[in-house]
Amino acid sequence: MKVAVVVQRYGQAINGGAELHARYIAEHLARHGQVDVLTTCATDYVTWRNELQPGVETVNGVSVRRFRVKHERDPRVFGKRSDRVFEQRHSVGDELDWLDAEGPTSPALVDYVGKHAADYDFCLFFSYRYYHAYYGSRAAGDRAILVPTAERDATIGLSIFRPLFRSVRAVMYNSPEERAMIHAVSGNQSVPGVVVGIGSHVPNNPQPARFRQKYNIRGPFAIYVGRIDLNKGCKELFEFFQGYLKDPTGKLSLILIGNSLLPVPDHARIRHLGFLDDTDKFDAMAAADLLVMPSYYESLSMVALEAWALGRPVLANGKCDVLKGQCIRSNAGLYYETYAEFVGTLEAIEQNRWLAGSLGRNGRQYFKDQYDWPVIERKYLEMFERLKKEAPAAPDPLPGWLDRRRQDLRPAEEVIAALPKGPALHAPKHASPEPDGRRRA
Amino acid sequence: MADFNVRSDSVNVEHIMEQIRARIREKRGVDYTEQQIRELAAVKLEKFLDPRGVRSDLLDQFRKVQPAYEPPELPNFAFEDATLFESHRGPIRGLRKLLLPILKLFFNPNPLIQALNIQSRLNTMNAERETRRESARRQMDQLYYELIHNLVIETTRLGIEVKNLKMRVESVSSRLEFNERRARALESAVVYKPSEAEAAPVQQAPAQSQQRFMPPPSQGRPFQQTPPRPQAPQAAAPTPAAVAPATNQGQPADAGRQGAPGEGPGQRSRRRRRRRGRRGSGSAAAMMGAPGAVQPETPDASASTDAVDQMDAMDRMDDDGAPEAEASRAGAVEEVDSSPPPEASAVPSTDSAQSPPTGPEESSTAREPQGSPEPGRGTSSEPGGSDTDTQ
Repeated sequence: MKVAVVVQRYGQAINGGAELHARYIAEHLARHGQVDVLTTCATDYVTWRNELQPGVETVNGVSVRRFRVKHERDPRVFGKRSDRVFEQRHSVGDELDWLDAEGPTSPALVDYVGKHAADYDFCLFFSYRYYHAYYGSRAAGDRAILVPTAERDATIGLSIFRPLFRSVRAVMYNSPEERAMIHAVSGNQSVPGVVVGIGSHVPNNPQPARFRQKYNIRGPFAIYVGRIDLNKGCKELFEFFQGYLKDPTGKLSLILIGNSLLPVPDHARIRHLGFLDDTDKFDAMAAADLLVMPSYYESLSMVALEAWALGRPVLANGKCDVLKGQCIRSNAGLYYETYAEFVGTLEAIEQNRWLAGSLGRNGRQYFKDQYDWPVIERKYLEMFERLKKEAPAAPDPLPGWLDRRRQDLRPAEEVIAALPKGPALHAPKHASPEPDGRRRA
Repeated sequence: MADFNVRSDSVNVEHIMEQIRARIREKRGVDYTEQQIRELAAVKLEKFLDPRGVRSDLLDQFRKVQPAYEPPELPNFAFEDATLFESHRGPIRGLRKLLLPILKLFFNPNPLIQALNIQSRLNTMNAERETRRESARRQMDQLYYELIHNLVIETTRLGIEVKNLKMRVESVSSRLEFNERRARALESAVVYKPSEAEAAPVQQAPAQSQQRFMPPPSQGRPFQQTPPRPQAPQAAAPTPAAVAPATNQGQPADAGRQGAPGEGPGQRSRRRRRRRGRRGSGSAAAMMGAPGAVQPETPDASASTDAVDQMDAMDRMDDDGAPEAEASRAGAVEEVDSSPPPEASAVPSTDSAQSPPTGPEESSTAREPQGSPEPGRGTSSEPGGSDTDTQ
């Protein structure tokens, strides 16, 4: 078996969600066959500047072939085109212009995929929203498998991606919510799909005491791991937690791990430790009483899965359908939408040891059943086997010259607003059976 | 959330969240959604405080909306003598007229013609009557609507006015309460410390208390004949300064005597409180007054002062709302009233003075003569008390 993994960035130092996802999948599939990674020379997802050398290199035993990006992203042009397609009536041509402005625009990569797709059994395209996935999947033809890593943001409302979701051979979803959203927006129920997600390399014996000693942390604490950013809901988290701190009965502190783009409140019980390596990160998560995940938009949240793998309960933002659905399906986390719910759930986990322990046990079991690497690998291999037996469907034709210029497309934000919301707790009728049922402790 | 309850062995996150939300609702009432909060925030507060500002154009709207009445065109017919034989064709009309006698040989059409003629007129009359009735009904409807509309407006205005008045009463009550407390605080702020020279006259209090509790003449008791007045100067002697405020306030000398004849039980209790009020001022005057404050008795000494009037006003308000206090006070006075003749009257008066206070005022006044040898009996030192009581 020979598989190509096509992703916008790739490398050990690149820790973006989709990129890490791609690397993990590539490295694990490499145990079952030959895997080539096709990517760009960029490392920065904002500028897409060519910072790595084009050519072939090996990363963790996986062959990586890099291609140059044709032009960097111009933030002004990108912002202007984003406003156009997200907020105004527009045409397919406007959306294609937006895609080009977004980057990483690498025609060389697409050309290579077109020429060498036949050399691979399947080409896995990560992140539907980028140039390489849109054009590369067409170039790969009936070998294209999409790992969309889609979130509930306006991009999913763009019309150019609907044919993409319908024309690939299969879609590997991260969550049932993502699948339901893509089904709703593109009507691709007939395309083979499976909720896979991703595993994580969680150490078997984390050292919470070592972490406490190293960072001089005492007492119970909640932990947040990730970029400290407005888009991740950290501002709301700070507001809510500062309100919680006024309650004298609450004993929890908040430990923040990750690079900060927001000012962290100056309080004795809120500590920002910065970016930590994996060892410290997992030790910290093992030492924590719970993980807080305040993000509004997540397609999977690997951090939440890692917390569950370590037997820690998760307190998630209930406005994020994926996180809420994960909490309900796993019975391993609580969720909040308001300040009162935040405090209520936080206190419930803090003051009820039995509840925290049960949630943690459920989380560990949920991770083991759904996101352990053998499970993930098996799902990919089964999908490959299935696709070998099934005939590919005919792809949607590209829009014509006139269609690309017709200004009849609704703003993407309107489209996304019209999509159904809420966690997907029931499997769709056309979906293939998969063991993602809800569990109880 | 310490008593957070999970009833089953297994964890159901949705169930737990329901419990948490229910607890939040219990704590703070209805849990509004963000949409509801936005809607509530968008609603402008209406000014509804001025009842005169209540206006309604519902009546005008009703009149505009209601269509003008148009009587229905009911089908009818005109039926006269020749209606049966009419025709727009002249020859046929002539022929019918010619053959009419022959027709009458077969049957008599006149009753038929009469009946139809009557029916036609009846139809017309009924239609006219129905039109008149409908018109009258619609006018009445409008009147009723206007009446109900006006009633609703008036009720609304009255409701607002009642609310305003309630708020005003509440405000006045709180001010009154504040004033009462301030008055009591000012009274209790006076510290009594009789000098050695004054100590002896103050100790005459028990004897003078006999004068204070003399029953009114209207009751016709035997001891009414005992003249209390000669003792009044003696009573006035120890605290002559107590008279000064009364005279300084410019009140008429006999003001306190006017209500004496025909007093009721409520008035008796007020009288007692009035005494206490003066008692306080008298003691304070005794404390503050110089040795030269000893003055001869004058009728003005028993005149009420502004302070006393204020106390009376407060007493009137207290009487309305404290039945148990009123009863205990009246009982104490009755006990004095039914006391034996003058030679024994000192005992009940002393008892009544030692009886536990029945209200805040009594407790405060009982604490006032702190410097007197017998705190409970210091009340007899007031000079004007006998005057008022015996009137």
